[in-house]
Amino acid sequence: MELGILAGGIMIGLAALAAGIGNGILFSRYLEGITRQPEAQSRLFGQAMITLGLVEALPIIAIAFGILLLFRVIGV
Amino acid sequence: MEATPKVEFLGLTFDVTVIAGSLFTAALVLLITILGTRGRAMRPGKFQNFVEMVLEFIRGVNNMSFDSKKAERYIGFSLTLFLFIFIANQLGVLLMISAKVDDPIPWLGLTKEVLESSHDEVAFFKSPTADINVAIALALAITLYAHFMGMRKNIKGYLSHYVKPYFWMLPLHLIDELAKPATHAMRLWANIFAGEVLIVILLGFAKPLITGAPLLVWIAFSLFVGTIQAYIFTVLATVYISQKISDEH
Repeated sequence: MELGILAGGIMIGLAALAAGIGNGILFSRYLEGITRQPEAQSRLFGQAMITLGLVEALPIIAIAFGILLLFRVIGV
Repeated sequence: MEATPKVEFLGLTFDVTVIAGSLFTAALVLLITILGTRGRAMRPGKFQNFVEMVLEFIRGVNNMSFDSKKAERYIGFSLTLFLFIFIANQLGVLLMISAKVDDPIPWLGLTKEVLESSHDEVAFFKSPTADINVAIALALAITLYAHFMGMRKNIKGYLSHYVKPYFWMLPLHLIDELAKPATHAMRLWANIFAGEVLIVILLGFAKPLITGAPLLVWIAFSLFVGTIQAYIFTVLATVYISQKISDEH
């Protein structure tokens, strides 16, 4: 088996794991926040979405490069 | 992964899907804004209402990062950026044209080897933002503009910012300034690119009963991700510019 394909699979798996943990923490805190102060929901939603984008960035970059490795666009 | 038609011109390689996609997006943005501001009425119709809603949304984004005077000045910039990226992101989800090409088309750069490596799949129309060159161009333009405005405002303050609060922090500041445009561009590109690749993979399976439901879910999620990414790209652009031109330095 080619090592590049293995590397791509590992990258995508680890990225999914990290994104799951990060988003889990983020949205559990967001839900805690709107449970304490329901009137702050609209403001917290925007902030949560920005943070979602920031948290998601590195996992999704890893996934994109993993796809490039899987389809042998970039080789190892 | 699907190949794209490419044209050689003056020794440079141009991706046809990127050029067609960006021109189409720009035309669509122009059409929406012209139609939205034509014949404005005191009692707005449905379409004018929608455009005003988008404008208010962008005003809120600007007010988060700028002070109120600068927020008004940068509203055209943010609105253009948001509309362009938003529509460009949705193009690849809703209007993607990809086909199987059996015979090589040499003048479009689809030679036999290229077709072989992409399993005959060729995309003729897709999101321009799914190409990393477009995302890097956008992010680089914003970064250069931010640095230029920072220097023009106060060159001494701009330069001394790199060695504050201590001189040994200079490498940290340099890494920070380099990482900003890199992550700014790759965040947008990777989200749209990964979304499109998964759509193509799901479409490629010839078992619609199995892949139909996941495909619908993923298309809905891609629409959501495209909106969020356009929003985040705009917010970060305003934040990066306001960091350089704010008065705290």
